Amino acid sequence: MTDTDALRNAKRSTRIDAWCGYTMEAPPVSAMPVSGGTINMMEYLLQGSVLDQSLESLLHRLRGLCDNMEPGTFQDHEMVFLLKGQQGSPFVLRARRSMDKPTMPWHLRYLGQPEMGDKSRHALVRNCVDIATSDNLMEFLLEMGFRLDHEFVAQGHIFRRGSMKIVVYKIFRLLVPGSTDSIEALSLSYLVEVSVVAPAGQDVISEEMRNFAEQLKPLVHLEKIDPKRVM
Amino acid sequence: MGVTCVCQMPVAEGKSVQQTVEILTRKLELLGAEKQGTFYVDCETYHTAASPMGNQGQQGKLMYVMHSSEAPLSCYALFENGPCLIADANFDVLMVKLKGFFQNSKANKIESRGTRYQYCDFLIKIGTVAMGPSARGISVEVDYCPCVIVNDCWNLMVEFMQSFMGSHAPGLPSVFSNKHESVYSPADTMVQYMELLNKIRKQQQGPVSGIR
Repeated sequence: MTDTDALRNAKRSTRIDAWCGYTMEAPPVSAMPVSGGTINMMEYLLQGSVLDQSLESLLHRLRGLCDNMEPGTFQDHEMVFLLKGQQGSPFVLRARRSMDKPTMPWHLRYLGQPEMGDKSRHALVRNCVDIATSDNLMEFLLEMGFRLDHEFVAQGHIFRRGSMKIVVYKIFRLLVPGSTDSIEALSLSYLVEVSVVAPAGQDVISEEMRNFAEQLKPLVHLEKIDPKRVM
Repeated sequence: MGVTCVCQMPVAEGKSVQQTVEILTRKLELLGAEKQGTFYVDCETYHTAASPMGNQGQQGKLMYVMHSSEAPLSCYALFENGPCLIADANFDVLMVKLKGFFQNSKANKIESRGTRYQYCDFLIKIGTVAMGPSARGISVEVDYCPCVIVNDCWNLMVEFMQSFMGSHAPGLPSVFSNKHESVYSPADTMVQYMELLNKIRKQQQGPVSGIR
């Protein structure tokens, strides 16, 4: 317990006692709950894509460049929820669950407006909040007033290099809403993303990401892609 | 943790909140319960800022975000008679982002703090419930750690609670009603705290506004 905490507790207890007209020692608080989490984390992102037939050579290259870990695959079901206000743009949240590891927590993600920045910054930057949750997330979001906008299945490979996360995955659409039993690939290519989540203002990271992206050329060209331009 | 019961202990006649807490803790210590530090449960209230278009039912719905020292890296978000989401502490950051849709009504923040005792397989937490600077009541939490099925241990828990609460030992909590044979979870404890803290908040708001 820090001194400031102790002081705050002491003050609080004095006020309680003042109200009761009775004095008692401040209860020592040994375990203060952590509230607040980590404010202002940013995701640095580079994106690209490869055709199905080039997948193996890219994976081969990534196995050589990335940290020595068990080659990981994943199959996730992602649902995108919107909360509409009376004006302004809707609030978007992404809920993801692992289909191949069903006992893992669900993942709730908020992504802020992407900032392209100038030429000196080599990656797209956006505010992000990552939350692990229990499996009743969908029911809870609906209760909060969110509505399901769209959903998809992402299936692919994951690599790591230092703090960088590299995912190579294919997006599938659901033929029956809500059911991941029958899915259909959206394209004949794989999406490639390199991302780092770090506290705001650490633009050096984008330099490191660019250097890594250079090493993947010409197999894949990773760029900062402005989502507004794509739409 | 196992099956847990959260209830209110009325303030003894002619005594203050603190004095009643002392009487309770003394009884526990006489039983042989050992002091094990302190605990903390808090509850923040959020209300929908503006009713979304064509969604009038949302208006007036309250959402509660709670923290507990028993799981200090977690955050519980719940609706009255609705689902309880268990999330990590980053959920608090999300609520900051959502402030255009959900507003924290700071004046309604209510918390219970006090001492944590252990007596054999039981964990007992006696807390002073406070809203801002004012003490509002007393919460008693009894956790029977070895068991997660309500029906298998409820009678034992009642007997234990009677040993230090006397006639104020509670009846079967409402969250238990559909849990007789199923597995008890930490979220059920937070639902009980939410109901208790809400009850205490409402009990006090009546007379206070009457004086004004």
